[in-house]
Amino acid sequence: MDILPGITLDLSFIVGIMVKISMFLLLALSLVMVRQESLMHKVVNFSIGGSLKILVWAYSGLCLLLTVIVILA
Amino acid sequence: MPEIFNADRMRDKISKVNEMLKMSPHSHWASFAAFPKQLRFEMQHDDEEVVVLGRAHFIVNLGWIAVLCFAIFVPMFWGEFPFLKTLNTATILQLTILWYMALAFYGIQSFLLWFYNVYIVTTERLVDVDFLGLLSKTINITQLSKIEDVNYSQRGLLQSIFNYGDVIVQTASEQRTPDRVAEISAFTFASISNPDKVASVISQLIEDEEENDHHH
Repeated sequence: MDILPGITLDLSFIVGIMVKISMFLLLALSLVMVRQESLMHKVVNFSIGGSLKILVWAYSGLCLLLTVIVILA
Repeated sequence: MPEIFNADRMRDKISKVNEMLKMSPHSHWASFAAFPKQLRFEMQHDDEEVVVLGRAHFIVNLGWIAVLCFAIFVPMFWGEFPFLKTLNTATILQLTILWYMALAFYGIQSFLLWFYNVYIVTTERLVDVDFLGLLSKTINITQLSKIEDVNYSQRGLLQSIFNYGDVIVQTASEQRTPDRVAEISAFTFASISNPDKVASVISQLIEDEEENDHHH
């Protein structure tokens, strides 16, 4: 079904849109997690806290990269 | 002179507890760590020493680890779902990326909540740090002198085998906090490793605190 010239509305298109929105939400959640980890580290200062911070930042960065790829695809 | 006297008493207090905790691990990763090194917490006094750092036993993580182990293999069977069979390859790939990123998020989040939900016993106070989900935290602090009762309970096969359980500390103020509605006390150290040792250490510290007060 053509909704706009050149755009066909099918199941793949709808699922693709939902995946893009979900990736975007996941990216927002990952940023919230970065903030939360920072607060946790402030409350209880473990020596390993720095590594955990790198882990959540890395996850957030990867999430950003993949979100951009998925949205542009 | 009084400062020297206090320092001596503090050393006595630590040495008694030290005796109880010898052979206990010191690592931050442990579910039960005695005198953990390089650990500071918010609102810690300069002369306050952390005696015990506790968190839920690692075994409580088995639930989410099992879910992750199962969910990792789900995309391999996506061809079996009639709904997904109709999708094109690019959409399936996007869905797979989303699936694994969501799983990673779930894993990291569950780990952080386990790692940072800690119970801290110091030479002066008890600190119960509860993080609930991404955006809420509750921190309960009480002076040792305000503690009335310390109990612990172990229920069921798993708790008996792996030696973990709940330590319930009742304070004079009978406070209720919204962190865990079902908890008997605000200072419920849930599923903590070595609950017997934790209860003994707290009791010993309270006794020392009372002795200290009598001497003053």
